[in-house]
Amino acid sequence: MFETGPNWRRDAAFGVVLIAVMIAIPFLGPSRYFIGQLTLFFIWATVVSQWNLVFGVAGIFSLAQMAIFAFGGFATGMMGLYLGISLWFALVLAGVGSILFSIIIGLACLRLRGPYVALLTLAIAQVMYLLIITDTACFYMEGVTCRNFTGGTRGLAKFGDFGFREMLGRREYLKGDYYLSLFLLVLATVFSFAIIRSPLGFAFRALRDNPEYGVSRGLNRFKYQLLVFAMSAFFTGLAGGVFAGHFRVIGANVLSLPLLLFLISMMVVGGLGRAWGPILGAALVMLADEGMKDFVEIRNMGYGALIVAIVVLLPQGAAGGLEQVWEWGRRQVLALWGGTGRLAARRGAAGEERRE
Amino acid sequence: MIIRRRGTRREEGARKRFIASRRNFMKGAGLAGFGAAAMSSGLLADINDGVRAEGEPIPVGGCVPLTGWAAADGLSFKSGLELACEEINMMGGILGRPLAPVFEDSKEQGADNIIPAMQRLLDRHEVHAIINGYNTGAVTAEYDTIADAGVPYIHHNTDIVHHETVGSDPELYFSNFMADPAEYWYGEGFMKFISDLNDTGKWEAPNRKVAIVTGSQNYSVVIANAMRDSAEKYGWEISLYETVVVPISEWGPTLQKIRNDPPAAIAITHWVPQDLAQFMMQFVPNPTPSLVYMQYGPLLAAFREIGKEATNGVLFATVVGALQDEIGQDYFQRFNSKFGESASPLTGSQPYDSCHYWAIASAMAGGTGAPGEFEQNEKVCDRIRRNIYRGVQGATAFVLPYQAARTYPTETRDASLGMPHQFLQIQNHLEQGKLIAPEPYETAAFQIPPWISG
Repeated sequence: MFETGPNWRRDAAFGVVLIAVMIAIPFLGPSRYFIGQLTLFFIWATVVSQWNLVFGVAGIFSLAQMAIFAFGGFATGMMGLYLGISLWFALVLAGVGSILFSIIIGLACLRLRGPYVALLTLAIAQVMYLLIITDTACFYMEGVTCRNFTGGTRGLAKFGDFGFREMLGRREYLKGDYYLSLFLLVLATVFSFAIIRSPLGFAFRALRDNPEYGVSRGLNRFKYQLLVFAMSAFFTGLAGGVFAGHFRVIGANVLSLPLLLFLISMMVVGGLGRAWGPILGAALVMLADEGMKDFVEIRNMGYGALIVAIVVLLPQGAAGGLEQVWEWGRRQVLALWGGTGRLAARRGAAGEERRE
Repeated sequence: MIIRRRGTRREEGARKRFIASRRNFMKGAGLAGFGAAAMSSGLLADINDGVRAEGEPIPVGGCVPLTGWAAADGLSFKSGLELACEEINMMGGILGRPLAPVFEDSKEQGADNIIPAMQRLLDRHEVHAIINGYNTGAVTAEYDTIADAGVPYIHHNTDIVHHETVGSDPELYFSNFMADPAEYWYGEGFMKFISDLNDTGKWEAPNRKVAIVTGSQNYSVVIANAMRDSAEKYGWEISLYETVVVPISEWGPTLQKIRNDPPAAIAITHWVPQDLAQFMMQFVPNPTPSLVYMQYGPLLAAFREIGKEATNGVLFATVVGALQDEIGQDYFQRFNSKFGESASPLTGSQPYDSCHYWAIASAMAGGTGAPGEFEQNEKVCDRIRRNIYRGVQGATAFVLPYQAARTYPTETRDASLGMPHQFLQIQNHLEQGKLIAPEPYETAAFQIPPWISG
């Protein structure tokens, strides 16, 4: 069912090593700041790994991902606050709700193509933003202040967390959020790899690269695009819920344009459409952000320079560049062994896979 | 006797050099004009007993928006903290240890920016205090980060949520201080202000009606609701409570409602200067005999530049900011001479004052505490709670259990126990607003607005 091959084994080995390292990090006594930043990295990497399915693999110019993220976060928070249910349960419900929400968005947008999809999905996100910040009606009173249903411009808070404070104590609770977000990223990444290498992934790519040919082979463009939209929404919504539970607050700023551009830059830097691209991009952009924190005045220029450099020097993103280096290195090693015949055979088997 | 902690104990010997006295310090520093402003800070120089600030530096953090929509204010906060640290260091720092300000950018604010920035200050720089202007969008979620570290966190978020959070668990949030009154006090303060104007004969209210117009942001809504809820207490009746969708430039429908039932006062709690200027430009050609009060926007030059003559007579207020008295003027001069005439000392005064009284409290407590040194930080926070500080913003005294600055004259009748809720009036659109209340800080008399006096 799923395509396998040398790259699959390489990716699996690399993934296992990466997970082992990430699991070990909290035991090495890092600072709380480091743990917090890695938690945020896991959350953003989850979002962009799913966005990559829609944007990079299926070629849909959707900017709705942060709207879905916000839906998941607000749904989790609201269920915790208004229904008083456990945030764990709320998180799962929010994930499922995010699928329905994305289907509604998809039904409205996917009849369109190209930049029109981008415009309409961005408009939906901005409408959500406006609905939240113009929510001034008093939903309930708390002391002398009235609380809005969505939290309004202040943000939605006081819906609790995942219980790690009680479970692990105030000094260690961040590790609970850390492992939760890591677990989410692992699931989302496995899901993403599975989709990309399944027949569904080939269908998405066919409709991206040559829609007329794909349709002539019996692929229903609208149905497949709606499918990828819905599938990517589940983990995005969960990421929103984890974000809300981690920070114990969620506000309209998650729908802001600077954050949207920050996440898009992760995909561009990492390599659109590549399985490792979003994770690598998230890591590079967050590292760049970290490195430039002491140079506030030129930070935005630094971002710009980084993105321009990546686009010009590595048009297939950092993941594409690494892929080329990997292939070159492998050829050199095999050539040293005199195994050019085996290399040719392997090239044949892996040829299709390199395109991902 | 001052007990000094490990790391702050002064080595006796060659390294120890004294300056003769506080008077000499001020003279030497060229701060003769420091005058009354130095009265509280002079206490620090006395405690320091003439020692120079040559010990191990104490990192002091500022989590301020250096980029994003609030960057202009953020740079003022940064300047204010830098100026305070410099002055404190000239007085010998804290028991001989100089202050070293470090900053993290809270960018567009919100919990995802504020919490990592504060955690970075605590982990990387190991700051002994975080002293901010304002940050929005975290809804006090950052208090837990502070509670885990225990260092004093002094901010000016002007947010009533602070009361609820600290009040809910004063022991856990012992080091979280809001150094200005909550926005709620704008509401009741306004009702008291117009009542005082009427009672003292400075203005004769044509009726007891107030029209309230609010924007859509929580800040505006909380103030509008507080006005509405406190109106009856001062004998006023709300004739109109209107929520407008912002941004707004077309005020026709709202003005028509106001003209249909002219109130004694119109209070607009929406704060964007260009929107407010548009209101005045549309109101003045066909005015009602009402006072016009507006929130925040008239503090900014853009309001007067857009509205021009139409803005003369407008009232506005701030619960925190440098006063225009002798102490304030000295501060303005020092601030502008260091950072240039285009710098904004009004907002920079927030971390400036806070840093001064944190330094005094720390010196009195025997030194500062690093993250995790809860016992020492408890002592510092206890001093902050108990001390009353007279700075460039007036008096700072914290109300317990929620540890927010008390506002004067609404919360206390004693000007020495509260931060003045300053009411200003634009009397000439070419100049900044004049401070007309409260006593004894006012620098100009209230004037009947031109659309009423004719």
